[in-house]
Amino acid sequence: MASRGRQEDSLPPSPESPHTISEGSSTCSTMTHNICMVSDFFYPNMGGVESHIYQLSQCLIKRGHKVIIVTHAYENRKGIRYLTNGLKVYYLPLKVMYNQSIATTLFHSLPLLRYIFVRERVTIIHSHSSFSAMAHDALFHAKTMGLQTVFTDHSLFGFADVSSVLTNKLLTVSLCDTNHVICVSYTSKENTVLRAALNPEIVSVIPNAVDPTDFTPDPSKRSDSGTTVIVVSRLVYRKGTDLLSGIIPELCHKYPDLHFIIGGEGPKRIILEEVRERYQLHDRVRLLGALEHKEVRNVLVQGHIVYDHVAMEAVLPIDKRLDRLISHCGPVAGSIFALLVVLNFLFLTFLRWMTPDSIIDVAVDASGPNGAWTHEYSCSKRKGEE
Amino acid sequence: MEDEQSFSDICGGRLALQRRYYSPSCREFCLSCPRLSLRSLTAVTCTVWLVAYGLFTLCENSMILSAAIFITLVGLLGYLHFVKIDQETLLIIDSLGIQMTSYYASGKESTTFIEMGKVKDIVINEAIYMQKVIYYLCILLKDPVEPHRISQVVPVFQSAKPRLDCLIEVYKSCQEILAHQKATSASP
Repeated sequence: MASRGRQEDSLPPSPESPHTISEGSSTCSTMTHNICMVSDFFYPNMGGVESHIYQLSQCLIKRGHKVIIVTHAYENRKGIRYLTNGLKVYYLPLKVMYNQSIATTLFHSLPLLRYIFVRERVTIIHSHSSFSAMAHDALFHAKTMGLQTVFTDHSLFGFADVSSVLTNKLLTVSLCDTNHVICVSYTSKENTVLRAALNPEIVSVIPNAVDPTDFTPDPSKRSDSGTTVIVVSRLVYRKGTDLLSGIIPELCHKYPDLHFIIGGEGPKRIILEEVRERYQLHDRVRLLGALEHKEVRNVLVQGHIVYDHVAMEAVLPIDKRLDRLISHCGPVAGSIFALLVVLNFLFLTFLRWMTPDSIIDVAVDASGPNGAWTHEYSCSKRKGEE
Repeated sequence: MEDEQSFSDICGGRLALQRRYYSPSCREFCLSCPRLSLRSLTAVTCTVWLVAYGLFTLCENSMILSAAIFITLVGLLGYLHFVKIDQETLLIIDSLGIQMTSYYASGKESTTFIEMGKVKDIVINEAIYMQKVIYYLCILLKDPVEPHRISQVVPVFQSAKPRLDCLIEVYKSCQEILAHQKATSASP
């Protein structure tokens, strides 16, 4: 019975699927997981990581798993909220230090995270994004508590400047005993394996790109006078806006019939405006400003070329990268982090003594096999199909 | 009718829940915490005085000793009068309203009354409290201008902080009364 439930789950949805899912989830409770997504980045903050976490959680809930999300508080949004299909989000009141990340002390988030992991009976910790300090903290604590961990890396990173050296070191330490790592592209996999000195076998690639079938160019919408290049992204350093502002004058000089349409908003918009001003490109470069999600497609289909930039692929040559990595992987950092692990364990023991696991209330499930929303969800789905 | 059950609070301390059913439309819940124990009182007093003696040997000023005695006495009085709550009761009468009373250890009482017309619902909610995530029972008040919106959330049993099993007991009884009230107000 249990194996049948699993087979049905992996098949594309058939007319009987609501029946089998509800049957499967009630009988094969050992196969469902309680997954906790941890990241500093979640709605109301906007971006790729945020929507990735949300969509992934929704898909896991559909497969009958219980999913919760842990993030830090955004201004007034703190406490516990519920999203579609009983996706429970904890906004923890931890101080934001830099760029929407909390401080990585490896200690101050332990009491709350441990309380949540215990009360939600979490079995898998899934951390997202190497920029998120909370994700690293959660991996660290989860290992101290003996839970399974998965890490998804969303970004590429250099090897040269101070911040990347520090982040890479942290990544090396926090990924060295993670059970599995997921990257969003093959370039990202290569990058992560090098940065964190990982065994490539535990790294999987699940591409996380725009669905190309939704974005077929529409030849009737494009202008016939020359070539149009479309750029839609947040105008920040990480998305290569500086590079773009450098190449626009050169390309415009070289190809007199080239036009740019740039959508998006961000702190680097002023650079693009300056460039447009300086080279008198007002008729060639159009800045659209912030775009609604639904408008993006209508902009993208007008172009001949869509410029999709992923941050900073052009980093140091490989031999220098490896040299740097080897020189930074010394015994010093290793012993420091070993000490931290011991301290973390002692702190956890202290917390367990203060509030034993047995007096922590088990949370009422919102999603998952016994979730309050699960029954409602399968009912509404059945109604929708009838 | 009266019965008593024992539960524990979120820190593992013991709580006693007394339920009194006066009539189908009137119930009282009474949560009592253990009284101030001699052990914790001695521990706190000893720490304050030892610290004071330590400072006294360092700077040899007898003012410190008198200050320590004074601080202990004032602190104890203040704690008993303003902080330590021995008993919290929730009295719910379906045609009248909800009355919450806290009895402080010094004998002080503070009472809040919410009339039934203002009460929208009674629910169990989750919140992050200190380094914990806890469940609490709260009363939702209607907005006087727009009856479908909630203007305020009043937490119940704020100092006792019972665990979920205890809250569910109280919640179920309260919901019975609220349902009874809705039925009676709708029928005539």
